[in-house]
Amino acid sequence: MTDLHPDDARPAAGADTPAAELRGITKRFGPVLAVDGVDLVLERGTVHAVVGENGAGKSTLMSVLYGLQRPDAGAVLRNGRELRLRSPLDAIDAGLGMVHQHFRLFGSLTVAENVVYRAEPGRWGVYDRRAAEQRVTELAGRFGLDVDPSARVDTLPLGVRQRVEILKALHRQAEVLILDEPTAVLTPGEVDSLFAVVRSMAAQGTTVALVTHKVREVLEATDRVTVLRDGVVSARLETARTTAGEIVEAMIGRGLKPAVNPRGAVSGEPVLEVSDLRLAAAPGAAGVHGVSLQVRPGEVVGIAGVSGNGQREVVESVLGLRSPDGGSVLLHGQDLAGLGVRERRGRGIAYVPEDRPGMGTAASLSVADNLALGHHRTPPLGSRARLSPRAVRAQAGELVRRLGVKTAGVNAPLASLSGGNAQKVVLARELHHEAPLLVVEQPTQGVDVGAGEEIHRLLLDYRARGGAVLLVSYEISELRALADRVLVMLDGVVTADLDAADATEEVLGAAMVHATRPDDGSSRAGS
Amino acid sequence: MSGLVARLRLAAPAALVPLGAVVVALLVGAVVMAVAGVDPLRGYDAMVRGALSVSNIDFAVASFTAILAMSLAFAVPARMGEYNLGGDGQLALGGISAAVVALYLPAPAIVLLPVCLVAGALGGAALASVSAPLSTRAGVPVIISTLLLSAPAVALTSYLVRFPLAERGSAVPQTSRLPDAAHLPSFPGTSYTNAGLVVVVLVLLLAVRVDSRTPVGYEIRVAGANRGFAAYGGLSVPRLTLGTLVAAGAVAGLAGAIIVMSQPFRFIDDALTAPGYTFAGIAAALLAGGRPALLPLTAALFTVLTVGSAGMERDVDVPRQLGQVLQAVVILVLALRVLAARWVARRARDAVGGKV
Amino acid sequence: MDVFTLAFVAAVLTSSAPVLFAALGSALCGRAGVFNIALEGQLLCGAFTAVAVSWWTGSAWAGVAAAVVTTTVFSGVLALGAVSWRADPIIVAVGMNLLALGLTGFLLRELLDATGTFAPTGLAGLPDLDVFDGIPVLGALLGGQTLLVPLALLLAVAASLWLNRTSTGLRLRGVGEHPEAAASLGVSVTRYQHVTVLLAGALCGLGGAQLSLGNVTAFTENMTAGRGWVAVAAVMLAANRPLLVLGACLLFGAAEAWGFRLQGVGLPQQLTDAAPYLVTLIVLVASRLRVRRRLRDVDPVAAVSAAHPEAVVHPEETR
Repeated sequence: MTDLHPDDARPAAGADTPAAELRGITKRFGPVLAVDGVDLVLERGTVHAVVGENGAGKSTLMSVLYGLQRPDAGAVLRNGRELRLRSPLDAIDAGLGMVHQHFRLFGSLTVAENVVYRAEPGRWGVYDRRAAEQRVTELAGRFGLDVDPSARVDTLPLGVRQRVEILKALHRQAEVLILDEPTAVLTPGEVDSLFAVVRSMAAQGTTVALVTHKVREVLEATDRVTVLRDGVVSARLETARTTAGEIVEAMIGRGLKPAVNPRGAVSGEPVLEVSDLRLAAAPGAAGVHGVSLQVRPGEVVGIAGVSGNGQREVVESVLGLRSPDGGSVLLHGQDLAGLGVRERRGRGIAYVPEDRPGMGTAASLSVADNLALGHHRTPPLGSRARLSPRAVRAQAGELVRRLGVKTAGVNAPLASLSGGNAQKVVLARELHHEAPLLVVEQPTQGVDVGAGEEIHRLLLDYRARGGAVLLVSYEISELRALADRVLVMLDGVVTADLDAADATEEVLGAAMVHATRPDDGSSRAGS
Repeated sequence: MSGLVARLRLAAPAALVPLGAVVVALLVGAVVMAVAGVDPLRGYDAMVRGALSVSNIDFAVASFTAILAMSLAFAVPARMGEYNLGGDGQLALGGISAAVVALYLPAPAIVLLPVCLVAGALGGAALASVSAPLSTRAGVPVIISTLLLSAPAVALTSYLVRFPLAERGSAVPQTSRLPDAAHLPSFPGTSYTNAGLVVVVLVLLLAVRVDSRTPVGYEIRVAGANRGFAAYGGLSVPRLTLGTLVAAGAVAGLAGAIIVMSQPFRFIDDALTAPGYTFAGIAAALLAGGRPALLPLTAALFTVLTVGSAGMERDVDVPRQLGQVLQAVVILVLALRVLAARWVARRARDAVGGKV
Repeated sequence: MDVFTLAFVAAVLTSSAPVLFAALGSALCGRAGVFNIALEGQLLCGAFTAVAVSWWTGSAWAGVAAAVVTTTVFSGVLALGAVSWRADPIIVAVGMNLLALGLTGFLLRELLDATGTFAPTGLAGLPDLDVFDGIPVLGALLGGQTLLVPLALLLAVAASLWLNRTSTGLRLRGVGEHPEAAASLGVSVTRYQHVTVLLAGALCGLGGAQLSLGNVTAFTENMTAGRGWVAVAAVMLAANRPLLVLGACLLFGAAEAWGFRLQGVGLPQQLTDAAPYLVTLIVLVASRLRVRRRLRDVDPVAAVSAAHPEAVVHPEETR
């Protein structure tokens, strides 16, 4: 098989023709204008940061570039020629590649098999394993990606899986590679090696679009920056000539928003007290190594960190979904050891889980049935032996009205609701417990901007009533909007415990990737 | 009430599917009969008469009792997404348990009748209960384990009536006739239809009530819709699985007991499983969908198909297996219920308007 | 007891062959992400067609060919229902199994004018192999077998090679494992699933033919008697891997053949009949328990839902 990535195969476009270009892209989802007339130029052989806060339109823009979404207006150009992208397959043919935040890999297949899938080397339909592994070794060597081509993918850490995704794109001769929030799942060491790979690819002529909301990464790894805010471009910068301050200002607007989050009236004994929690690390997870935390009435304690650093294990230990190897969980001073989920919830823990379709709701059941879980054995809905369907519907109607859930009726299946409305159903159910403790994971994930704000308001109202909230979020802006105190978790330990006032984007971002408190990002940029 | 109208508009297509399934099945049956050279109208007339004519209705109602019970035995675990296909084994074990108690426990009717019924229920429940830990602890799906356990259970009863329990001097593999005290009392003027029907109807009423008006019924539905959601809510999926399977096995075993405690008052090898009560019950449960209150209606329909097809065979010489074919067509068309459900979901979403 | 004689092993091969054909088909479907448990019905369909066509034409091979064609067409019900229309594959399978049972019984009466069993003198069965005559071990093992028995063994090896050594096999595995990922690289998930379901139909046709023209020369109503379900259990036991499927089916065959032996010693047939099912179930439970223990260590929540294998996997619905 000939080299699939020959340098001389580049089209004869002029050296200054951008590798890819977006012109006047506009895309709306229902009433929401996600991006509005955005221009983006990706010059050949550069690393281009596309930054912005959650909901600024970064993902939509990249989906358009990769053929996942069709724009309402505007054009996608490659080497100066306009593309007609009906699906990502057209984008792949045009030399585009994308590494999604959620990998699309076959866990039981080897690295090589994943990389060459549907572009396999071999003759007469026989798959040539050796040629495939050689190809992977060769590509990996060229760009400094360290992988074992014969390893099964599901045995690999997330950082290596990401390299497999990159190799997939390179094997398909991608000359423009989109990396969507690539560091969200990586450990600090993996982040460093990713950036080295990115540099190496750019040096060999590949164009990289790095989508991120982390200013540090922009400064560390890119040449140019396009900042998006509320669906429009708010700044175009050259990394060498800008500062963290300038980027942040472009991201969140002139004059930093005043803290939307006046401190709650924290008082009294802790509602939740976790001491020295320990859980052995399972393959692919961090485990928990001596985590302690307290949540008081009227307080929101946020847990920040990259996904998979032990947050899930802490939450599941509090809820009783998992039994820890050591340490204690106290609710109002009482040890919960040995109690199951039902007993713990009965004692006053409400829970909004991250996995809404898999855990927080049942799509095929009605809105009313979804609202009843956990309330169904107590008055007014029922008792141990009796459940009143009429009371279930009545309470559901009341909750739907109070929270403004948009639905055809309480008998409609939950599957018919949008993400934001489904999340409101979960919150309505859990807040209705008026439990002293609410554990919330990623409350605005998959939720549109408007509903996200309402959800934040509901959580703050609950705090104002004296509720204690343990909030797990991967979004720094969300933690800043809600939390009174922020703990940062990395590799199963708490690496920082900050007052909300001290928890700036830079400090949090740094603590999420380094165990020790690093230099201030802005001073680094100035050097 | 525009809300009610909207609800009806959403529910209508879901209700049309079962009706459509029956209509399609009857049309298929008509075509098959026409190809076989029989006037379909005559065929269906013979089928209906075979079940519902004055001379046949007594036996048909007794069959209805069994099919209704077997439909419950499938419907209860199906509520939480588990498929009990081992009805034959549960039925046979229930029947043999009741027969053994009746033959060896000398007691007056007032004692023996309930004890035999309970023994039958226990026999069926014991077999079905094995599948619960196999599913929740070992991860063997209920559909597989119930089936694999059913064949040995039927074989066991077959062995018992041929050897240890065989009636002496009889060429037929069967037990001796049960003592009079173990005969379920018949209605006036009937010989097959008896108090068993009342027992099964009472069990059905109980099941409907548990399903719609108790926390346990709600929890079973939640576990059926999404195991993760159930675990999140603190429900014990293993306990619910065990509960539904025990209930299912008990109803099937009860049906077995009722059959041996009716004419001709013995356990005869094959007599419980050969008529196909289990699959008629499954078809009836699937046709009723998630509404246990509809089971009597759908069970009646499949009773006519099952019992009537024997009449059809007698009168117009159409093989009785046509009844099974019709049941199968109903099940296959019902499998497409999901298409209607998807359609309803889309309608509901559109009704809200402008989904983001 | 002469359990380990060549004659016994030959009997094991005979008993295993029909189950093996069906199980291989189902295993391939499992690899492609389709839960195919309509084996009982498809075997029955193949068994009936083989006998009927063999009777009409006088040629057993014509019967085999017809069984393959008819059963492939019949498996189209599953392809349409469970793949194209995404209906519950379990309910489709229950319907198909019942349909085959009813229809073969019906046609047995209408077409062959028999009730219960059709075994006329002059019904052409599949010939025994004679190419191995005189060769020491092979002759004893395969001498009394039909060509379909060694074919089943070869197909198990071929299926394994296809899955692991070819491009289309690789793509098929990808389709079953992560359909969205396969679709995102341009592989048509539904096409792969359709073809696999139909292929399984063809294999079940062969299995049915071996049952009615090889193991015996007769068609009996419901003659599969649960073999389709044993095949399902074998597939589960083997986690869809063809060579392990072969092992599981041989185990079933051994239990059945052993049962026949025990009958010879005077044990009632009713009890020995139960042996294959119980052996299959016990081995299945033991193997699943091991898998389960490993899984629980990693993810307790996933362990809860592991009892519910994803029925059919489909690519993400495109909006």
